[in-house]
Amino acid sequence: MGNCFKSSSNDDISLLRGTDTESNESAIEHPPFVEPPPPYRAQPEPQRRMPIYHPSPSVSRPANQLSEDEQIKIAQRLGLINHLPTGKYDGTNKKAKECVICMNEFELAEPLRYLPCMHTYHKECIDDWLMRSFTCPSCMEPVDAALLTTYQTN
Amino acid sequence: MANIAEQRIKREFREVVKSDEVAACNIKVELVNDNFTELRGEIGGPPDTAYEGGNFKLEINIPETYPFNPPQVKFVTKIWHPNISSVTGAICLDILKDQWAAAMTLRTVLLSLQALLAAAEPDDPQDAVVAQQYKDNNAIFQRTARHWTTAYAGGPNIDAELEEKVTSMKNMGFDEHKARVALSTKDWDVTRAAEYLIS
Repeated sequence: MGNCFKSSSNDDISLLRGTDTESNESAIEHPPFVEPPPPYRAQPEPQRRMPIYHPSPSVSRPANQLSEDEQIKIAQRLGLINHLPTGKYDGTNKKAKECVICMNEFELAEPLRYLPCMHTYHKECIDDWLMRSFTCPSCMEPVDAALLTTYQTN
Repeated sequence: MANIAEQRIKREFREVVKSDEVAACNIKVELVNDNFTELRGEIGGPPDTAYEGGNFKLEINIPETYPFNPPQVKFVTKIWHPNISSVTGAICLDILKDQWAAAMTLRTVLLSLQALLAAAEPDDPQDAVVAQQYKDNNAIFQRTARHWTTAYAGGPNIDAELEEKVTSMKNMGFDEHKARVALSTKDWDVTRAAEYLIS
């Protein structure tokens, strides 16, 4: 069971990616299917250190100390996050210029993730947040509920 | 300290904390150490409340996982408020706990605390004694809170009657702050306050 958690980027082949969810302005210049750099803090010695997960926002525990329920919840969460569309910043979106999590401006070709509420963040920043709380940090919209409506209207 | 936390605090200092709007709202933040983990905040008591005219100092600790986890904030200045411990200064405010979001900033935290001073939530108390007084005897609560604002936060309103009761208990040999707590807890009944301190 614990093996599912080794990396959150392995099953990045999202059904939504490459479809036209957000791509009207992206994916023209850049090769669209280049794997983005691994999300999360790349740990210097990944073999030896267990990845840390957050069964609730203020709790941090290594993967081998999670209850079975927590493991299932986290695995589901990882799956859901990987279904959220990603892209690279191409400078054309005039509204989203800054990631409100790290407060840095987006730079060209940085990996981004788009939430169903249309708020945009650095992929690395928002993935870290979504593993703690599955809501948009800007509008507090629960991401799973919004995901469902997105699927239904499609 | 994790890089992202430090970078964010630096940015917040540059772009948010020093804005004019913040000065107009009577809130401020200063650094305590060089590595951006300890900060000191200050909020002015909101107008038309018992805290008006007071300046309340806050201790702010930035966790390594900021902004994914909220800053830890408590009142250093003693305050009489249902959602703030009169003993430790600990705060009961949802955004400092489970309602925190990574898009929030020190500015939003301080403004929320100011809003909390203006609108207490006695049904979700941090200090049960204060919350009970707020609900059962709001007039006494308002007077007590105003008196604490003057005694500890530099507020301008001197309530001679309450002042006198504190002084009389001081003259009995009680510590001033303990006397004030006992009197505040016992709705300013000197006899009951003295019994409370002796028992």
